[in-house]
Amino acid sequence: MLGVGLSGVAARPSSALTILVGVTCAVGALVSMLAISTGARREETGSVRPDHVILSKTGERPGQSDIPRDEAAAILGLPDIRKGAAGEPIVVFESMTFIEGRRRGTGTRIYFPVVGVTNTLQDYLPDLHFTGGRSFHSGLHELNASNACARQFTGFELGDTRLIHGVAWSVVGRFDQGQAQNCVVYGDVDGIMAAFKRNTYTSVALTLQSPTGFDAFRAALAANPALHLDAVLESVAVADEFRQLNNLLTFVAYFVGSTMALGATLGAVNSLYAIVDSRRRELATVRAIGFGPGPIVIATLIESIVLALPGALLGSGLAWALFNGLAASPFGYSIELTVTPGLAAAGIAWALGMGMLGGVLPALRAARVPVTTALRAAN
Amino acid sequence: MRREFLNGFTLKFIPLVWSGIWRRPARSVLIFLQVSVAFSLFGLLQGLKTGVDELVAQTRADVLVVHGSLALFDPLPLSLLEQIRAIPGVKVAIPVELSGAVYQNPAQKLGIVAVRPDEGWLSAFTFTLSPGSEAAFRRLRTAAIVRDGVARKYGWKTGDHIPLQLETPQQDGSTTWTFDVVGTYADSDLNGGSDNVLINYDYFDAARVADKGMVKHYKVEVTEPSLAVAVTDQIDHRFANSGNETTTESMRALAQAQLQSIGDLNFLIRSVVGAVLVALLFSTATMMMQSTRERMPELGVMKTIGFSDAAIFLCILAEAVTIFLAAAACGLGLSVFAFPLAAHIVPGLSMPPVVVASGLAVAVAAAAISAAVPAAHAARSNIVAALAAG
Repeated sequence: MLGVGLSGVAARPSSALTILVGVTCAVGALVSMLAISTGARREETGSVRPDHVILSKTGERPGQSDIPRDEAAAILGLPDIRKGAAGEPIVVFESMTFIEGRRRGTGTRIYFPVVGVTNTLQDYLPDLHFTGGRSFHSGLHELNASNACARQFTGFELGDTRLIHGVAWSVVGRFDQGQAQNCVVYGDVDGIMAAFKRNTYTSVALTLQSPTGFDAFRAALAANPALHLDAVLESVAVADEFRQLNNLLTFVAYFVGSTMALGATLGAVNSLYAIVDSRRRELATVRAIGFGPGPIVIATLIESIVLALPGALLGSGLAWALFNGLAASPFGYSIELTVTPGLAAAGIAWALGMGMLGGVLPALRAARVPVTTALRAAN
Repeated sequence: MRREFLNGFTLKFIPLVWSGIWRRPARSVLIFLQVSVAFSLFGLLQGLKTGVDELVAQTRADVLVVHGSLALFDPLPLSLLEQIRAIPGVKVAIPVELSGAVYQNPAQKLGIVAVRPDEGWLSAFTFTLSPGSEAAFRRLRTAAIVRDGVARKYGWKTGDHIPLQLETPQQDGSTTWTFDVVGTYADSDLNGGSDNVLINYDYFDAARVADKGMVKHYKVEVTEPSLAVAVTDQIDHRFANSGNETTTESMRALAQAQLQSIGDLNFLIRSVVGAVLVALLFSTATMMMQSTRERMPELGVMKTIGFSDAAIFLCILAEAVTIFLAAAACGLGLSVFAFPLAAHIVPGLSMPPVVVASGLAVAVAAAAISAAVPAAHAARSNIVAALAAG
């Protein structure tokens, strides 16, 4: 049966090519658009750990909260918090602010976070390792920058200085942390708060004894009348923060992908009609020797899918070759486009769908070929 | 003479083109749909890109924003005001402070914009105030002018006392502030924010407990638009190496920076639009090729009864252009219709007519490209061979 199908393809190479090109373009577009949201998600969740908890003032967003120093100090006495090497609880008082940088080359304005932290940061982020220089010293105007900073912006080489409200802060260390690709700058929390005239922490981060201890920890937090704080798992906080962006990116990707797939499917229908028409005689012969319409429908559908699949591979491959690793900053976030095997799988599924849908009508026509007239026809 | 020829041409050819289109209705309908889909996507993507460029071009270049050098929301002290006003070329400088607020429940968020309504302040903004509200705003310390949409949303009228929960606490620690609505305003600035309330800076600063004497930025209007760049440099130079370094940008530069985040995806948008057109051209060219091949005998007959090669060529071209134009118009119409949905991420964005025009031009070009080869083939074909092809 398939042999008959493929002979039709050979007779109409341009029709087969049309399906290939259409599917390639649709899958390529879908995969490269999805690569933005995959890159975003990898960036967001790359360093999330299940035992990390973020505290903020009740009703306020993590990172934009105002936690007074006395309340923050009381957090140290809560149960279920893991102890660091020196025996003190792994709690990081943070004061985050965004300052603007100019992207290398393009000069695009992108904001990056400067986070004042306490010296428990190394225990909180065990996968943070220095690739150059050293950690900042408390009390000095020193900064540590992730390697992404130097890749994205100017002014982050070791020894470079940055003016913050008239005071020069120097970059003394560069680090990598897990899979994180965004620029983060750390400094001493008291120095940062003084520089930005703040009295409160914007959030407090801590590591639990174990991820299962979260409910007990939250109960202890709620039971303490001196603390008016909310605790959320880091994974939840991150998901909340990026929900809108992720939804938008995914929507755009699927919208563009579906529209192009619709176009490609219409093209495939036309091409398959042409292929079916070009072998009416063969189809009639097959019917004449006893095959029912069922096998003909199935064979045509399989053929349509077989024609669509190479397009999926080609499309995913093109998306990978053109866009993988490309840095984009949609809406001010810095994201590296990531084409993963999962996305290629999505592209293949998409192509299967296009092949199936595009094959239905032509398959029905193939099955309805009137045996006698088709056999008599000259063509 | 020429007119006669054209009339004759049209009379003779319209039915021919029409019957050519409906020779295989299913195929024509499929091509029509495919072209519609491609051009609705073209309209949306290109509209987004061009619309953003047009919005940026519409923002004022003669109004500057002076803010702290670290970020757009890096505050500055009010003490810089007189120094900024003293700089030559500065016509008006108005301090602006921002805060967040909620009305009744946390889901009903508002932006608080505290300004000092000094002489000529309105020219540094893009606001249109309801009649009488400006005088009342200057007279009453607790006055509030509400963005028209917000007033409608919450049913606020002039004379209402509105209690708002601000992020900024008052002297007594309370975060409840009550303002008196004195009017409404409209804003043509796309970054203006739609849920804003204007209040008096002097009242706000006197009543709050922290950050006294600070502003988020100054709005500066220059005397001559051509002076904008010079004034920008002078302001930043004036405060360079001080504890209050400033960054001065025009409203247009700000809009550009803000929208560049979308522009950053230009490469991707171009690639997608390119892929759409390539796939479309490939598909339609194949269809046209096949269509002419099937019709060879008919075209042979036409030639036999005296149709010239050029007439055959034009006839096939006209068929393609007709289908493409109709389908592109349909697809672009769809994208104009759907544009407000896609554009809600960029407030104030509208579909630029130039996109529709260029879409139609692209459609004609695409039709010509996909039909040129088969049409030339048909025109060149030998009568005998064409008749025999059946």
